[in-house]
Order: sequence, then structure tokens, then C-alpha cells
Amino acid sequence: MNAVSSSPRGDMPRELDPRPWLELPPPDARAVAAALTTEEPDEAAFVTLVRAEPTRWLEAMAQRAQALTRRQFGRTIQLYAPLYLSNYCSGGCAYCGFAADRDQVRHRLEPDEIERELTALKRLGFEQVLLLTGERTPHAGFDYLLAGVRMAARLFHEVTVEAFPMTVDEYRALAEAGCTGVTIYQETYDPDAYERFHRWGPKRDYAARLDAPSRALSGGVASVGLGALLGLADPLADALALFRHVRVLQQRFWRAAFSVSFPRLRPEAGGFQAPHPVGDRWLAQLIFAFRICLPETTLVLSTREAPAFRDGLAGVGINRMSAGSRTTVGGYDGRAEDTGQFAVSDGRDVTAFCTMLRAHGLDPVFKNWDSAYRSVLSPPSALRAEGGI
Amino acid sequence: MKILLNGEPYETVARFVSELIAEQAPAVRVAAVVNDRVVPAAEQATTALAEGDRVELLTFAGGG
Amino acid sequence: MNQEDDALVLGDHAYTSRLLLGTGKFASADVMARAVAASGVQIVTVALRRFDRDRPDDALLTPLLAMEGVTLMPNTSGARNAEEAIQAARIARELCGSRLVKVEIHPNPRHLMPDPIETYEAARVLAADGWLVMPYIPPDPVLAKRLEEVGCASVMPLGAAIGSGQGLASAELLKIIVREACIPVIVDAGLRAPSQAAAALEMGCDAVLVNTAVADAGDPPAMAAAFAQAVAAGRSARRAGLMPVGQEAQASSPLTTFLQGGERV
Ligand code: SF4
Repeated sequence: MNAVSSSPRGDMPRELDPRPWLELPPPDARAVAAALTTEEPDEAAFVTLVRAEPTRWLEAMAQRAQALTRRQFGRTIQLYAPLYLSNYCSGGCAYCGFAADRDQVRHRLEPDEIERELTALKRLGFEQVLLLTGERTPHAGFDYLLAGVRMAARLFHEVTVEAFPMTVDEYRALAEAGCTGVTIYQETYDPDAYERFHRWGPKRDYAARLDAPSRALSGGVASVGLGALLGLADPLADALALFRHVRVLQQRFWRAAFSVSFPRLRPEAGGFQAPHPVGDRWLAQLIFAFRICLPETTLVLSTREAPAFRDGLAGVGINRMSAGSRTTVGGYDGRAEDTGQFAVSDGRDVTAFCTMLRAHGLDPVFKNWDSAYRSVLSPPSALRAEGGI
Repeated sequence: MKILLNGEPYETVARFVSELIAEQAPAVRVAAVVNDRVVPAAEQATTALAEGDRVELLTFAGGG
Repeated sequence: MNQEDDALVLGDHAYTSRLLLGTGKFASADVMARAVAASGVQIVTVALRRFDRDRPDDALLTPLLAMEGVTLMPNTSGARNAEEAIQAARIARELCGSRLVKVEIHPNPRHLMPDPIETYEAARVLAADGWLVMPYIPPDPVLAKRLEEVGCASVMPLGAAIGSGQGLASAELLKIIVREACIPVIVDAGLRAPSQAAAALEMGCDAVLVNTAVADAGDPPAMAAAFAQAVAAGRSARRAGLMPVGQEAQASSPLTTFLQGGERV
């Protein structure tokens, strides 16, 4: 509830620290049954569910997750497409195919190329686009990103940005240019692991990243997406810190919309191995626990995951998915030259993916709401600008 | 001098708010409002009354 | 569980009692004082009125001030708008020095529903001025967050209309307020029975304020004590965690067979 100060190196704020919960004994059947049916899900329910014994509880959790997903979102799946604007990066994230020390064809989309890529996505039916870049570089800094947002906002109803941490004023400028959402994963909440995998570059600043969602919301961005790159550190601890992070922000920025993503470390060209690999069953259990304990929050699953896994979770916890994605720079309008940030596991095109959704009784939704009125209204006023996470 | 006390005309010899309170309510703690200005407790002894002042003396009563 | 580490925190003050008592409508100041003593409440509300020459001492303040550990919370009842409520708060401060103030603005004398707009405005000004503002409000989750944003010490949504004794008619809205709030939620007005007070604490409200239910009871001090016990029981139950509601049988097709195969890492 209060602003949290973190040291420059990045201690985890006390209100996110999962350790007290991890020391509890494993949940008994009574506790799991209670958490499954509660109408007032809290942290305790969340910990109980992620630690529940899967052979006994996974199916019941899936059923509950599906019921709650239907209650909140109906039988729909929102679709979005990621568009990498640039893969220039000064960052040294050990797990990333775009890190500065990686052998990679560097490229950025020029305005005419951005236009062509956006048009190609639009032609595929998309109304929601996620624009990505690496860290700030002279090739792709704030102004470059802002220009990309302006172009996208002319064509798309929702324009989300996943780039680098910014100042409140920068986020405000993005919002005014038509950016409706900011996605920024903490990657790992464990300060030691964070320091180890972020070998150099601005991303080493744990606290600046942790605080970025608050700054985005303070700047008037309407929604933020959070996540942890599962596999970097103890996934249970990261999941719990992530859950707490969402809850704390939801209470403070009560007008904002939130989404949570579940990126799991995938093999990529550089061959980084996840120190704490996360299996399918546990990831599914985690998604069910998030759905049960955050019934109104959007949960996202990308094409990092394989078709069978995505099909199984569509509408069962997950309510927003990417489809037909390229993780290379551009790539929707012709071929890309680089090898991508990570490997796409679900290579189906949009049509095939929508066919699958419909076969599962789910309606693919490209447009969540209409932005027509935005041109006559000013962007939402700043949401209580204060420090802290 | 004539003042308006709690909405009614009232004749008093009190020159200061504190004297009016002593005259009216020697045993009760009251707050004074003179011409819509709340007189801080510490200033009651130095706040002079003038002809025609509207004075409210208030105290606590039961309430929920 | 130790009550000491489960205090109701309002601003920089911590209270062990989660019952607040109004002092209106009692047959006599003596009965009121005995009810306060019997319930062990630490915060009592009082109203402002014009001093009455013919009743120079209605003996309300004397026993209350003599009671150890009882804080007075003046209300602004009678105020019809924000300006009057702010003035009432400033007058009350001269009387008791309290920073706690219950902002209560109900312009319609027939139902006494709080005016959300004037209440918000008064709360905003008083909170900025350093008061611990306790606004009496309709059970509106958005209003509650807006009041939290302007720095109120708590919100006091009504359970039902003042004096109606209808209990937690607003339960579903109260639950949303509790879920979203970062400041204490105190149910004010509408309660009749201690069981309703217990229910409010069980659903996660932080405290309740009662007045008529005690003042109009056959034996007000005994009823005040009963409310205190109910509030303590409700709070303990909340902390202990209620048993789950029975889950209906699930008869749909399995959803996790896709996870049965080989584990993909
Ligand atoms: S994760 Fe982002 S900041 Fe780190 S190397 Fe990759 S693109 Fe750069």
C-alpha cells in the first residue's frame, strides 16, 4: 500500500518477498479445497494452489479455471500479434538472442517498412499489436519508438509496447500518441539471479525495472502487462512475487487494466540453458492458480509454447493469445534476415489457429473495444503519480 | 452591548469571547464562532466582541 | 491470536477494539457512559450542537473525558454541504483537540443518505489539512477508492439506512470495497444485531460503528458488550479462515489429458 524503496542494486521490496510463504508446510487437502472454491482469493489461496499436489488437484483446478475464465471473458480469446521494430540492443541478458554479444544480424524497420508490416498484420485481421524493441540504442531510442506507436495507433485499436523502462513523462508521451498498454516483465524477482543474468547494460537496474509499471500507469497508460521469465530462478518464488506485484499494483492503480504473461525460457539460437526448467504440468498449474486467484485479470500465452499446450489452455485460464507470430524484426511482410529473439513453437498461421479455437467452442476476438471515441477525448489523466513499485 | 448569540439577540457586558463564555457556560467546555470565524481556544481571551457580532457557542452532544 | 498485533490502524493510531460507538439517542448520559464502559470501545462519536443556557451541562463530555483510553470522534452531522462540514470539523477541534473527524453529510432528512459529492469535497479539504478523515458514505467501491486517494484514514460505508436495523443490506458491495481498499473499511449504520456485526467482520470489514442498536436496546450496556463480543468473534473467525463452501460435483469432460503425455521442458 505504501511506496517502497529499493536499493540501487535491487533488494526485493518486503511486500513482494515470497520467502515467508515458501517456508510454510505443503498445503493439506482441506486448504486446497478451500482455495479452489473461495470467492475471496488471496495470497494464501494462491500459494496453496501452486503448491497443491498435481495428480490429485490439477484437473479440479483446470475445471475451476475454465469456469472462471468463462464467467469473466465468455467463450472468447483475444488475439494480438507481436511486431519487433528493431533488434539493436546494448543489453547483455544472458538468455536473449538479441543481446549485444550475440552473433545476430542487426536491423531496424524504417518508417516505410513499419507501415508495410502494420498493413500486413491488419490484412491478417489483427486489431491489437504489440511493438517490441531492445534496450535504448541510438538506432532505436524513445523517439523511434514513439514514431512507431503513432503509426500503429492510426491503424490498430490497441497498441501495446514492450521495450525499455521509461520515465513518467516518456510514458505519458507514449499514451498521448495512442499507446494503450505497456508490457514489462521483471524477468526474475530474485535480486541475485537478476544480477547474474543481466550481465551489463541499463537492464541491470533491478529497481528501475520493477518500478516501471507504476511509472507507466502514472503517465496515463491504461494497462500494464507483467510477467517473469520462468526458468531463471526458483519458479515458485518468482510466481509468488509476480502475484504479489500484480495485487499491489491493482490496489494502487485501481483504474488500470492488468495482464499477466507466462513466458518460459525456450531454447534459442545462443543455446542458453534454463537453470530452473519449468515443466508443462507445473506451468499449467501456475496458470490455473493465477486464474482462480485473479479472476478478472487477463492471462496471456504466446507462441513460445507448443500447439498442444496452447490448445489445452485456451479458455482454460488463458484469455489472450498471440498467433502467427514472428520474433524476428518484421517478417509479416516478406522474410526477415535475423534469427529471432526466441524460437516460436507454435508455427500455425492465424487462420489455422482460429480454426482450432472455433473447434474448441471459442470465438477469436481481434478487437476488444472500439477506439473511435479516443480522437475526441483526451487520454486518461495521470493515475496518481508517486514513487514505489 | 447587543450581540446575536446562537441566533438570538442578547445583551452582554462581556468585552472578550472568554468573558462571554464565563458568563454563559462557566462549567462547560464550549467552542466559539464569531461572525463565522472559529476562534481558536487560545485566542478566546484576546478576541474582542463588538456591537452586532454574531456569536455561536457550541458544545458536544450525543451523536452517532 | 494476539489482539495486540491485530490492531485497527487509523493514521498513526492503533486501536485494539474494532467496535466504535455512537453516543446519540441514549436515555441518559449515565446509560451512555455505562454502555461505553461495558463495550470497551476506544472511539466514540459525538455531535456538535449549540450550547443551551437552560441545560448548561448535559453531562455528556464529563464522563467520556474521564474514561481512560476513549478517543472522541466528532461528526459533522447537521452539515448540509462540504463547507459546513469543514466548519464543523474546525469547531470540534477547538473542543477536543481531536484530529479524528467523521465526515457525515446527509442533506435529505427523510432517508439520511450521505451526499457522495459533498462528502468527497469535504474529505479532500480536511485530509489535506491533516485530519484523520472518516467519511460516512454510500457503499460505492469507486467512491471508496477516490476517498482513499485523497488521503482518508478509513471509509465508513453504510450497511443499510441509518437507524433502519436492516443489517448488511449492502453486503455484496461491501465485499468489493473490502477487496479493493488499502485503508480500513468500517461499516457504519444499519446494524441491529450483534450477529450482523460479526458477519461484517467475517467478510473482511475492519470494524463497525453502531449507535441505535445499542441505545434502543432493552439493556444498552449489555447490548454494547454483546456487540463487542460479536465484533471480536467475527474478527477472529476472519483470521482463522472459514471452511470452504461445499463444491458441486464436476461432471464435465476432463481438461488436463493433454498434460498426461511426456513432460516437455
Ligand atoms: S532481453 Fe531485451 S534488453 Fe536484454 S538483451 Fe534481449 S532485447 Fe536486449
